[in-house]
Amino acid sequence: MMRITNLLNHGFGRNGFARLAVIVLLLLSVCNVHAQSGTVTGTVKSGADNSTLPMANVVVKGSANGVSTDLDGNYSIKANANDVLVFSYVGFTNKEITVGTQTIINVSLSTDATEMEEVVVIGYGTQKKADLTGSIAVVDVSEAKKTSTSDVSQLLQGRVSGVTVTNDGQPGAGPNIMIRGIGTFGDHQPLYVVDGVAMQGSVRDFNPNDIKSIQILKDGAASAIYGSRAANGVVIITTRNGRKNAPLKIEYNSYYGIDQVAQKIPVLNRVQYQSIVNQKRTNAGFTLLPGNDSSSPLFISDTDNDWQKIGLKDGTRHNQNFNFSGGGESMTYNVSLDYFKNEGMFVGKGPSYERYSGRINTTFEKGIFKMSPSVYYTHSIENSLTFRGDVLTGGRPPLINDLVLAIPTMPLYDPNNIGGWGGTKAEVHGTIALNVPGINSLFENWVEVDRTFAIVNPELKLVNSNGHELTYKLNLSYDKTITRDFSFVPQFNMGYFFNSGKSLLDDNSRIFTNSLVENTLEYKKVFGKHDVNVIAGQTFQAQEYVARQAHSENLPIPYYPVLSNGTNQTVGGVETKSNIASVFGRLTYSYDDRYLLQATIRRDGSSRFRKEIRFGTFPSVAVGWKLNNEKFWNVSENIVSQLKLRASYGELGNQNVNGDYRYQAVINNNIPYNFNGSIVMGGLQTSVLNRDLTWETSKFTNLGLDATLFKGSIELTADYYIKETSDIIVGVPIPISNGSIDAAPPVNAGAVRNSGLDLELTYHYTGNKDFSFDVSGNVSTIKNEVVKLGGNGEPIYGTGAKTEVGGRIGEHFGYVYEGIFQSAEEVAAHAFQSGGTSPGDVKFKDVNNDGVVNGDDRAYLGRAIPNITYGLNFSARYKNFDFTAFASGAAGYYVNSALYRTLMWSGDSVNASTDILNHWTPENRNTDIPRLVSDDPNGNNRDSNRPGWLQRGDYLRINTVMLGYKLPLISKVIESVRIYGTVQNLHTFTKYKGFNPDFNSGPLNPGFDGGSYPRPRSYMMGVQVSF
Amino acid sequence: MKKITILLICLSFTAFSCNDELDQQNPNYQTTEGFWKTQEHAIKGVDAIYNSFIIDGSYMRMTPALTDGRGDDMKGDSPWLDLIQVANFNILPTSGPVEWMWSAYYQAIFRANQVLEFVPSIEMDEAVKARCIGQAHFLRGLAYFQLVTNYQQVPLITAVPNVSTDFYNGTGTNEQIWALVIEDFTAAQSMLPVSFSAVTGADANQIGRATKGAATGFLGKSYLYTEQWSQAAAEFNKLINGSEVNVYSLTANYKDNFGPYTENNSESLFEIQFQTGSGTIKNYGGEPSSAWMQVSSVGHTYAMEGYGYSDFLPTRWIYDEYKQERTVDGHLDPRLLVSIASYEPSENSITVYNGAPWVNPQGNIYPRKYTHDGFGVSTESQGGVEFSEINYRVMRYADVLLMYAEALNEQGQTANAYQYIQQVRDRAHLPSLATTRPGMTQTQMRDQLAHERALELAIESIRIHDIIRWKWLYNPEKLAMLRSHDSDFNTWTPGKEYLPVPQLELDVNPNALPNSAN
Repeated sequence: MMRITNLLNHGFGRNGFARLAVIVLLLLSVCNVHAQSGTVTGTVKSGADNSTLPMANVVVKGSANGVSTDLDGNYSIKANANDVLVFSYVGFTNKEITVGTQTIINVSLSTDATEMEEVVVIGYGTQKKADLTGSIAVVDVSEAKKTSTSDVSQLLQGRVSGVTVTNDGQPGAGPNIMIRGIGTFGDHQPLYVVDGVAMQGSVRDFNPNDIKSIQILKDGAASAIYGSRAANGVVIITTRNGRKNAPLKIEYNSYYGIDQVAQKIPVLNRVQYQSIVNQKRTNAGFTLLPGNDSSSPLFISDTDNDWQKIGLKDGTRHNQNFNFSGGGESMTYNVSLDYFKNEGMFVGKGPSYERYSGRINTTFEKGIFKMSPSVYYTHSIENSLTFRGDVLTGGRPPLINDLVLAIPTMPLYDPNNIGGWGGTKAEVHGTIALNVPGINSLFENWVEVDRTFAIVNPELKLVNSNGHELTYKLNLSYDKTITRDFSFVPQFNMGYFFNSGKSLLDDNSRIFTNSLVENTLEYKKVFGKHDVNVIAGQTFQAQEYVARQAHSENLPIPYYPVLSNGTNQTVGGVETKSNIASVFGRLTYSYDDRYLLQATIRRDGSSRFRKEIRFGTFPSVAVGWKLNNEKFWNVSENIVSQLKLRASYGELGNQNVNGDYRYQAVINNNIPYNFNGSIVMGGLQTSVLNRDLTWETSKFTNLGLDATLFKGSIELTADYYIKETSDIIVGVPIPISNGSIDAAPPVNAGAVRNSGLDLELTYHYTGNKDFSFDVSGNVSTIKNEVVKLGGNGEPIYGTGAKTEVGGRIGEHFGYVYEGIFQSAEEVAAHAFQSGGTSPGDVKFKDVNNDGVVNGDDRAYLGRAIPNITYGLNFSARYKNFDFTAFASGAAGYYVNSALYRTLMWSGDSVNASTDILNHWTPENRNTDIPRLVSDDPNGNNRDSNRPGWLQRGDYLRINTVMLGYKLPLISKVIESVRIYGTVQNLHTFTKYKGFNPDFNSGPLNPGFDGGSYPRPRSYMMGVQVSF
Repeated sequence: MKKITILLICLSFTAFSCNDELDQQNPNYQTTEGFWKTQEHAIKGVDAIYNSFIIDGSYMRMTPALTDGRGDDMKGDSPWLDLIQVANFNILPTSGPVEWMWSAYYQAIFRANQVLEFVPSIEMDEAVKARCIGQAHFLRGLAYFQLVTNYQQVPLITAVPNVSTDFYNGTGTNEQIWALVIEDFTAAQSMLPVSFSAVTGADANQIGRATKGAATGFLGKSYLYTEQWSQAAAEFNKLINGSEVNVYSLTANYKDNFGPYTENNSESLFEIQFQTGSGTIKNYGGEPSSAWMQVSSVGHTYAMEGYGYSDFLPTRWIYDEYKQERTVDGHLDPRLLVSIASYEPSENSITVYNGAPWVNPQGNIYPRKYTHDGFGVSTESQGGVEFSEINYRVMRYADVLLMYAEALNEQGQTANAYQYIQQVRDRAHLPSLATTRPGMTQTQMRDQLAHERALELAIESIRIHDIIRWKWLYNPEKLAMLRSHDSDFNTWTPGKEYLPVPQLELDVNPNALPNSAN
């Protein structure tokens, strides 16, 4: 017979406990047989999805008489009329029914809202949620999956306190995840661990439908087992497995939706545009541009294009998913097939994202042997929104900005241009503007990704006697991603600035390989009230990168865009490798289910640092106290069913240097020049570097409280944390005068402290059979302070941003707005700004009072990082209907919008916001928009807090509203059918005048919105069928 | 227990073997340890310095653009605001182009400092070594010459940084920078050959390398800019009347100095070599690679609407200035139509680019110098945008003659100056100055030289430096004159004749000082 502890060790959460409970009951039932009067039969089903529950327990209350349901959820038990049957199944709320005269009792169990016995994956093992001492957030995956997205990490937005997700709406674009604030200036993406394997890079390739659970390790103690790379937090993703002794279950999910741009940026029409540009040029003393000059033969009166209308269309999103699962006594399987497609909202070839994926997850066990191998394959094609740095120069992309800024007088088509698309002409429009639908139709840019990810993880129970358990586990994984990056630019002409006299073809490939060998030993024993678990292990992870570039030009027409068809064929290539070798250990101890302790240590060596400073050691300790299990605790269980206090301290590392070998000085031997036409290749060191680059270390202190109140109807988790990161790895700009190509070589620069409060509160209403609802909310505050900076302690500048000791990361920085000059006397009386300053220009504050406004007069202008982020989820069920509403938001920050600033800048003759119509003139003085003047002699455009240059970013977005209906059963073949409709991104409440107040940006200028793809409003219809 | 022991042994074994795997050498590049050992390394190092002169901030585009724009012969006419603001002296220190130019010359200095630091200890042919070091001195001198004339005062760096604390070099005074420039050109002059055609070694016959003549010309120019007239005259005299470096002469045709087919000619002391036909990646900047092109985009930046960006236009003043004097046979000064594209039926010049009709308004004028207009091609772009193979002439013998005349005049030898000016005028077929304006005073001669230099050297990145060194901006009469030449000067305020020190340098480097234009 299997032992109880042995069963526990299977570690598959609910199933393990279910089996345990069943066997205990079976054991008891053998010993205690009462005389019974009758037999009751029936079926036990899940109230959540109406599926049958095999191995559910049915027991006569107050006796040892119990049975478990068979594979189809059927049971048969002897009971008296006055007996009460207790139906239970782990993860579901117990149900009690008095037998009475009934002989058939069918029961539907509702899912257990308290999750008291929920088991979570903590890295190299699992732990009961109730016993956690670290700060670990469990994502409600079933709720999160109601969001349609191509990227797993996008599911996290607004779901968990302390986790910030920013993203624009571009198909296939990867979101930016921040756990507990910016702890580093460099890469702050968390470490993703998928089925026990630490990933390299993004998880975009994974299919969200496969996910069973997501846990987020937020503090040092929780993450410490992943030491070296866990400083930005860890996201543990576990994919679905089949159920033991369950028949084949087939599930089919599908949805289809329409994406729309919900917002239009108001810009000028032709007449307004021409008038504004004419005023700008007249005020600067320039001649009028012929296209805008009604006295010129080149004046344009017949073109008035609304580029946002022309260039944007409705997109689509579409998902098909099949899942097959089941299992026998010694094995389980879960096979999934998935197709996802998202067509973007731009007219032309991109952007779009399409993914095919398949996964096979299995488990096998026999005696002391067990393993759960899996294989995942995905193929995706992303049509990128057109970019070509060598053709579209001048800070392009983002093309969304170009689309909004395009001038109304530019024609869409022009048969005289090669390619047939219109553009501006220097001698007519005098303005550089990009025909976005044209360029997006001409260019071809796509990335094809093939990824294979396989895991084999045999484990052996070496010792299993007298309560001692020792398990050895080998974890092998191999993850290979091959990409093909294709780009073709035909010969084209779009007039001014945008043309290519030759066709250009690039067909590149990148190969990423991530392999892992891991050995762990785990020992467990319960000595009376002492429960001990020790794990020790070794891991070695190798990452390789190979890139090859092939280029060819001047392909003949008609185009056959393959490399051999062009001339000037060139190739390139690069190869890098990095390794991490580690040992680790963890002790988990609890005493009497009252006191909890967990201590972890990990030592890592990274090939990215030089030998002498290659190793880092990362310890952590956490303690917990279950107050409600104390004898002195006399609060009723009906009021407080659980109360736990937690405290932890841990140190974590980060080796995310941008690139390998950054401590090695190298020679570039391919520096070309020519002497009278004959080429020579020069060579020397082109960049300076820092040989002493080493680990970044984060020290975490966390205080937490978990409470379950009022019979589980209220759950509260609160955490206060302080996270101090030192030796931050970042490319710090060095003086340009060093002449280094790498103008910001990575160094260990300084320290940052983040602190804040994470709160999560959930209310479950389980009032009656027909109606129930859940409300949950989370809120996080972040306080960020730069404690120290490296080098000479010099501040680090971003785009309109500055980071310095004592301040916050990337705070807005620039000139201080003091109004608009109303008269020449006022200009003369003010500090000197420029030789061309005139009435109507912006008055900037002479902060240091030296009579001149220059770089020394810049000041901090506001927060760039929200100080509060929050999410709210409401889900309800009424009879066969279900409803979900999910909203999230952020507050307390300002955004520097590149798009709006360009739309309001008079220095260029691209299109402008309608706001500019209220510009200053001698007759219109009551405005904060300066005069129109083409050469902007006063520098009105400089970084400042003039109105519009910094905008409040605060927003509340209704992310998801979903209504579902479960059809009454229509056939025996079909087990259940649910249809639903969803609106995603229904509305965003914000005053921000850009597309997305939660754009992506760099760590050193978090408040700079360089231009983000509009987040679509999606209308979707879906169906879920199970057989 | 036996199983466990075996397992532990396996575990520790794998752990140890893994640690060796942590030693990873960059498979893409040679490390610095193995470099600076051979003659080949020395030459490669020197060649890499030249590369810094063909990027955006240097002669590929921004050095000519930001310099010409400020002169009274050119004004900004670009949708790119920086190019307008630089021309009207309101450029902000955050300007990208201003930063690129700064960055390009410091890149050259970093590279030259490597050669100067590491090549002396290489065991190699001593003659080749001297030439390598001489070129490094010349190129560092040229980089600092550009920095000091455009930015007034800049960080003074003469060593390769070893540790990160070396990254923060202090600003040298204007005098200190000039002293280094003169020191570098003096060293270069002593180490460089008159011509690479006459040497033996790996660098033999590589026309375009810096020569003794180039160093002599720049040494003279540096003395001239620092008003050390007799030293300046002495250096120029070597080029004109000396015995060793008197190898230069004016080309018969003025146009040959700006075309792609007559490069490295008898008039050229030093030019930056551009060429088309190799590479696929534009040489704007960043990490150089063998796929780099070596093209200039000056032509496309300057060329008239329809053929280029026309980011700058010649001023009406310089156009009229050419028309002040007729040639001896009654024609327009031939330099007008080489420097400026204008519609001139009287000169039978009514087409552009290989005979295409003049489509722009007939009253418009555009820069022609350094464009391909007039060289038998029908477009500026030659198969793509911004591709020009035209070498940038950094110093011409005509400039040497005029500078010599100026140095003589400043020393009171006004009469002696006539003959050197006249050599330049003769090529333009202008009448004898001794006949038309005999007996000029020193002051009159200064104005005459200013006029001669404006016409001979228009749109060659020289004019604003002449205006600055002649201190015209601080002479109310001359300032009024400049304002009448070019309305861009209306918004000039004292100190703004220089480019501002890039804000990024000031923000990052606590030891860097701003200049008067910040």
